[in-house]
Amino acid sequence: MELVKRYIAAVQRELPETKRDEIGRELNANIMDQLDMLAEQQGGLTDTDIAAVLKQMGHPRTVAQQFVPPQPLISPGYMALYKNTLFMVLGILFLLQVVDSTSAWLSSQMSFLLYMKSLASGFMQDSLLGFTSITLAFWLMSRHEPKQHSRCEQSWQPEQLPKAGPHWQHISLQDIFTDLATYVFLLIVIWYPLWLSTEQLANSRFLFTDNAHQLLKWASPLALLGIASSLWQLRKRFWSQSMLLGNIVLNGAFAAVILLLATFSPLLKLEPEVWQGVLQLEQLERAAVTGLVITAMFPLWEVVRDILRLKKLG
Amino acid sequence: MTTAQLDKMRLELRRGVLVLAVLASLKQPHYGYSLRKQLQDGGIDIDEGTLYPLIRRLAEQGLLDSEWQQGEGRERRYYQLSELGTQLLSQLTDEWQHLNNSLSNLLGTASQETK
Repeated sequence: MELVKRYIAAVQRELPETKRDEIGRELNANIMDQLDMLAEQQGGLTDTDIAAVLKQMGHPRTVAQQFVPPQPLISPGYMALYKNTLFMVLGILFLLQVVDSTSAWLSSQMSFLLYMKSLASGFMQDSLLGFTSITLAFWLMSRHEPKQHSRCEQSWQPEQLPKAGPHWQHISLQDIFTDLATYVFLLIVIWYPLWLSTEQLANSRFLFTDNAHQLLKWASPLALLGIASSLWQLRKRFWSQSMLLGNIVLNGAFAAVILLLATFSPLLKLEPEVWQGVLQLEQLERAAVTGLVITAMFPLWEVVRDILRLKKLG
Repeated sequence: MTTAQLDKMRLELRRGVLVLAVLASLKQPHYGYSLRKQLQDGGIDIDEGTLYPLIRRLAEQGLLDSEWQQGEGRERRYYQLSELGTQLLSQLTDEWQHLNNSLSNLLGTASQETK
């Protein structure tokens, strides 16, 4: 019967401590009954017979899981809320990291690549902490049975549901937070003198000439409008005709500002001695203009996309 | 339909019915192995891995009373329907009969249509 003892001990190891003794005792009684019946039929038992019976019972972990089914870390009742909270918090952490890294970048001699690395590693650190905290909070909540239906699910009305439309009408959280991060980044870069100390300001560098910087300052209400629009999208999460129209105007204005910026000459405030022997200043100017034209293609693409969507909705 | 699909559907079909079969069998006290034998003799084959945890779950829900007893030189846990279990069995039996009648009609119509 050594095999039976080993089998029961293996099952017990997979069980919660509070249930080990009780289930082990019961499982032992059931197996012994089965072995008794087999011995009666065959007139005796060998270790091979016992092993065959145990094998038929199943792997100890499987048996333990049949007695005490594994509980998911997050209860299915909370899963939708968990995913939504996770995306929202990660989105906000990304925004905060954009603010932090951009301020650090502007006030130091950090290269753009290092800036991207700082942004990525900072976000990874924050998101790990955010992910762990949220998961722990939901794990604690899941230990208590969730209410079958939240207040929102109980008081819903079919008439309040948005019209059935194409799948793109639903605005993803990822899109909203990407836009928000872009607008926040632009505002920080344009208004960098406001949040830098005198010392930091002395060390800072701004690539565009004063004229170009002035144009960007004039364009900053667009970034504010963009933030307001993104926050509105966060509230509605569904493209309506008026929202699409607003987005077309906003992106059109952004494209116009970027293209206007590309016509400035000189565009960049460069120190010739730094670039001596590396690149000619004209080449750098040309590269910046090309970069701006390519950048303008993104809002322009959104303008075309939204016009087509508007037509479909109409 | 593949064998795997058929097995999965059979399993789903049997899952609810097994509870009814176990409750009905436990009008008389039984221990795990004797209950399994009784079910097998009644034409319901159920493996240990399904039956023993099921009885425990039903007992935890208060549908079964249980008691450890010495018998044939060994201790055994005997289960029997509790008062709550008896009430539930009666309601489930009505539900089963209603479902069975409805399904018989539906299956009868379906088999006539296929002919």
